[in-house]
Amino acid sequence: MPTVLIRLAAVAAGIVTALVELLFLVLAGLAAAVARPRVRPVAERYALRLVAAEQRRLAIATGTPAPAPLTGSGPRVYAYLAARIVPALMAALTVGLLLVGCWLAAIVVVAVATGTMSVPDALLQVILGGALLAGNLQAILGVARLDRWLARRLLEESSREALRQRIDELAASRAEVIAAVDDERRRIERDLHDGLQQRLVTLGMLLGRARRSHDLDKTRDLLAQAHADVQRAVEEMREVAWRVYPSALTHSSLDEVLTMVAQRSTVPVKIDYTLPVRPGRRIETALYFVACEAMTNAAKHARATVITIAVGAAGTGVEMVVRDDGVGGADPDGTGLHGLARRVAALDGRFAVHSPPGDGTELRVELPCE
Amino acid sequence: MRIVLAEDSTLLREGLVRLLADEGHEVVAAVPDAGQLLTAVERDRPDVVITDVRMPPDNTDDGLRAALQVRRQWPGTAVLVLSQYVEKRYAAQLLADRSDGVGYILKDRVAHVEDFLEALDRVAAGSTALDPEVVQQLLSANGNDPLHALTPREREVLHHMAQGHTNAAIAARLHVSQSAVEKHVNTIFDKLDLSHVTGYSRRILAILRYLGA
Repeated sequence: MPTVLIRLAAVAAGIVTALVELLFLVLAGLAAAVARPRVRPVAERYALRLVAAEQRRLAIATGTPAPAPLTGSGPRVYAYLAARIVPALMAALTVGLLLVGCWLAAIVVVAVATGTMSVPDALLQVILGGALLAGNLQAILGVARLDRWLARRLLEESSREALRQRIDELAASRAEVIAAVDDERRRIERDLHDGLQQRLVTLGMLLGRARRSHDLDKTRDLLAQAHADVQRAVEEMREVAWRVYPSALTHSSLDEVLTMVAQRSTVPVKIDYTLPVRPGRRIETALYFVACEAMTNAAKHARATVITIAVGAAGTGVEMVVRDDGVGGADPDGTGLHGLARRVAALDGRFAVHSPPGDGTELRVELPCE
Repeated sequence: MRIVLAEDSTLLREGLVRLLADEGHEVVAAVPDAGQLLTAVERDRPDVVITDVRMPPDNTDDGLRAALQVRRQWPGTAVLVLSQYVEKRYAAQLLADRSDGVGYILKDRVAHVEDFLEALDRVAAGSTALDPEVVQQLLSANGNDPLHALTPREREVLHHMAQGHTNAAIAARLHVSQSAVEKHVNTIFDKLDLSHVTGYSRRILAILRYLGA
């Protein structure tokens, strides 16, 4: 019996909350009309709080566990709050009838006590009143179910839809990441075979020639050449290793590592780093790869004379813009840039290439911070 | 000897030109892709063609296809193919009808200058040069019973034979007399049931066929 009373109270409370919600919607609408951009996030926060309270109330009213709290927001939340007027009116009607029934029951009790009503009449009233009470209680619980259905329809299905969309996104970005990793490996294989291996084979040839030569001067020349080749092989090797993973990021911050890379660049690089705290390692690594690719492209293909790299905070995330003054016309679907776009997408970031022919190239990366 | 060289890496191409010049060979053309290779062969009619497998325009097996065409079109021209990694299919294609004047070696082998020059000499002289690693793969992939009947020494001799070495060269490498090598060779051919095959180059081809190349 107390459970029914609690549920009844929860449904009755829904009338009050609907009034609060109506008031909120009116106020939020007025505020939005006056100061549009600033009021929106505040209004949404309160709307979500109201929804959370509603869901707790509905859990009590229908005796079911409360759903997971809503994280997303948007027009559906406001639509739900507005639509609550319907169950609230029905609740007012049914609960009102209950109160009227109680009042009538009190009159019957008083009449029996004072002897103005005969016992058979009173019994008839009890039977009639009991039937009406049962019907009324059913109606009240029906209102709770309607209220619950409305919430499910307008709120949970939208969040389910969002989840499904998120899963699709994740599956796509996971496949993209695997493809990007494979592309990257292919590039490294090419770097090793076309660069380092050729250099080492040539080195072996030089030393072989030196050993077979009977002319002392020539032998000396060949050895000097071989020595220079070893230096170059070591440099090449370091570059390939860095392309595999910038191990310097384990002990240095992104700006230090970028400065190091910039020093080796053939095109002058200006770095403007304004992040107050280090972002996560994954973010630093992604930004590093984008910056390196941009520097390589600017030097190799764009014939740029200067590169600027700006890294700073943007909202709750990080933004990096790499710009050069080269020939532009970079292909965003080329292996290099496409690989970077996939890497950024995997971190829920945004990647944009702006490279009109003849007017430099700009890469813009935005990454949310964990 | 007169050589046409095709290799897309400038570094390696220049290195090879110098090495071959040191050895007194004449590199009549050194080109970076398969198309230019065929043009140069047609124009210069070299004794030997040395070509890389992976080259422009397609960067797949363009060099190998050019080598096969050279072998068909100019049978007198010896061909030495350099490969980034062992691909038995390539070796099989090169040895499809005859094993004379053809070589297939790993690019890394070029760094072992002596081995490379020796392979080049062998190919130019009309015999075969197969990279030891290719032979190793053929031998290990081959599960034929008669191979198991070979003694370790005979397997060693077979390994060298399949690379294209002559009996005399095998004898020198294994530090045994030439007649000892000849005896091993006869036993091998008996055990593999190939004793009816005569002649050096046909014997090498028979061995490679047997191994499935």
